Amino acid sequence: MVQIINPPSAKKTVRHLFPTYEVGSLPKLPARVKTIKGEKVSAEELQQIKNLAKKYAVESAEVEEIIGRTEREKRKVSSEEKKQLQDFNALLNIRIQEKSGIDFVYDGEARRSEMYRHVAQQVVGFEDLPEMIRSRGPDSYKKSICITEPQLKSGALDTLIREEFAFVNQQAQHQVKVPLDDPYMIAVMSDNRYYAQQAKEKYIDQQQIRYEAKREFTLALAKNIIRPQVEAAVALGAYWIQLDIPAATLDIGHIPIVVEGINAVVEGIPAENAWFSLHFCYPRRNSLTEKSGYELLFPHVLKLNHRVKHFSLELANADTYEQDLAVFAEYKKERQFGIGLGVIDITLERQKEETYETPQQVRERILRAADVLKDRTLIYVAPDCGMRQLTLERCIRLYELMAEGAELARKG
Amino acid sequence: MTHLGIYLTGPFGQSQQLYEVRNEAKRGRGTEEVVRQQIEKDTETVIKAQQEAGLDFIIDPLFGQYDLFQPLVEGVPGINAGRQENWFNNNLFYQKPRIQIENLQYTSGWSEKFLHPESLPKDGSWSAILPSPYTLLILSEISGYQNKKSAIQDLAKLIKAEAIHLASLGAGRIQYDEPVIVVKQSLGSLKREDLELLETAIDICGRVPDTTTVLHTYFGDAAPLLPFLKNLPVDCLGIDGTETNLEPLLQEDFSEKELVFGRINARSTDPEDPEELVTELKKVAEQCHPKKLWLTPNTATEVDGYTHAFKKMKILQETKRLFNGTNN
Repeated sequence: MVQIINPPSAKKTVRHLFPTYEVGSLPKLPARVKTIKGEKVSAEELQQIKNLAKKYAVESAEVEEIIGRTEREKRKVSSEEKKQLQDFNALLNIRIQEKSGIDFVYDGEARRSEMYRHVAQQVVGFEDLPEMIRSRGPDSYKKSICITEPQLKSGALDTLIREEFAFVNQQAQHQVKVPLDDPYMIAVMSDNRYYAQQAKEKYIDQQQIRYEAKREFTLALAKNIIRPQVEAAVALGAYWIQLDIPAATLDIGHIPIVVEGINAVVEGIPAENAWFSLHFCYPRRNSLTEKSGYELLFPHVLKLNHRVKHFSLELANADTYEQDLAVFAEYKKERQFGIGLGVIDITLERQKEETYETPQQVRERILRAADVLKDRTLIYVAPDCGMRQLTLERCIRLYELMAEGAELARKG
Repeated sequence: MTHLGIYLTGPFGQSQQLYEVRNEAKRGRGTEEVVRQQIEKDTETVIKAQQEAGLDFIIDPLFGQYDLFQPLVEGVPGINAGRQENWFNNNLFYQKPRIQIENLQYTSGWSEKFLHPESLPKDGSWSAILPSPYTLLILSEISGYQNKKSAIQDLAKLIKAEAIHLASLGAGRIQYDEPVIVVKQSLGSLKREDLELLETAIDICGRVPDTTTVLHTYFGDAAPLLPFLKNLPVDCLGIDGTETNLEPLLQEDFSEKELVFGRINARSTDPEDPEELVTELKKVAEQCHPKKLWLTPNTATEVDGYTHAFKKMKILQETKRLFNGTNN
């Protein structure tokens, strides 16, 4: 098993302004992916593991041995070997974040195939489409069809959250924030055949069919799929849960469903100190209505359960902080949300251009946001979104300059 | 008797093989050349499949094009890529075109690198797809023009130049994709200015020599706009039959216009029943009296992948057989 060179004692307390956090995914190590697939690992990929392990003080001898052994024996990894590779990758991601200066960490979703698939493959009532579906540029995902009421498979909670969270909670020296899928996101990314068929039997109007079908599907996912994961995580000690809702503003008329779905996940969770944040990205900045971007969420989000206290927002991609954040200042008297400020553009286009934000740019973005929100204590600092599509080297640099920028902002 | 024609109206679902080579290239383990070869192979397959299924118009499946505006963004001087945005209410994205100069040149040929004219029919049955200037205007970031009216005039001239170019390569039908006008209608944000802008654009690009033109609307309810849309100078009007209720459509006379009924739901794997479709189509034929009647998917079939795109094509084929058979 992975050995901890510096075993954690108590987790590091965060007392400074502009705390930093990661949003979700990191790219998986190529050597780990290839070994699990039974493919040959190149010398460079093996060296990458050695270099990173040394730099971040994670023991790698055992995973190097697994890589060599499976290659020599021309076989696939055993389930125990696979777990060791995943543990290594997860621990490395935690240490990368901690050493880069990230205050609230997780494991870079090292055990998850990708955010949607990770959950969808644990659902009874979902069938896979035969091919990967293209979504953004060359990016694709494995889409499922809902053919009956979704339920978790037997033992799914261990795979989905218990083992993952227990490992992170044991290993992390910094505070932990747990990312989980939101039910609306899964509903939007799936083919909602089952509930659409039911709605067609009840309604004639096409718009009403779409609304009711999505609402029923979202609520079933909230109750049967997402809430049990939240309950499992808080039972093990999780206190900050982030629900990921990239699709919240996709369908402007359906935003009440987003809120209803989140409340169905959150209400009555039996852990007094557990609280929730929501991660939004790519809001409809060009919404075709008078409102746009995060404005579209209001006033609906005022009805969110009181335990939802914080929004993590994609902002750097558009770099229109004043415009994007104005609505949060406007509604502050009615309800105040903490803001996870996206200060790092995580798009592939920036990687292709080989350009980075500078720490000064990050500082400037934080201070611009502070000017709009008029309360520095509300602001956390984060990348725009998960970073699995980028190279790991780029992700590390982005974390570092984000932390450097936050430090500059603390100085004024 | 009305004859029913069928065709596809947008990018086709990618094959698993194409995903795999694309993914390898993205991760630096494969090359763009391998991706190009797979695109060519799949394009040949899908063009042949459309012909064998008896589709009346044939589209390029556009496997190499990520969004409707990519050809413009990559090929037209003065237009470049802005931030990423969601493509309406699905899980696709587009890069917002950024138009930073005034007086765009009316260049042409910019969509060609995404097309395979050598594989597409030359008998007038190739249907080419371009963005409608109004949708392009509204979904772009425009800083080079003083006002929307002057911008849309130039955009319409630019699009028309490309339509003429595609006609010279063999396209017999030009489909202008126009989701925005009906989405705004559905959202309640449509203003008189929007209608005037669309009208200005279609006055410029609505007629293209040696082709029929279609204004294809989708993702919104077209019914309240039909009296306006029917008067635009295009040969054919496309409506999204999964968003527009049948009853108001049946109140409209289409005797001066071809009607494209996008009743096949491209965003759902739920298979339509050809017999139920025939019943609806007969009502449309009898009550709307369209000059010609076409059944199509409401939009691109790419969101549910290759296999289901073929299944939807099969439903088109079967519905056409039943409709024309029972009419004859």
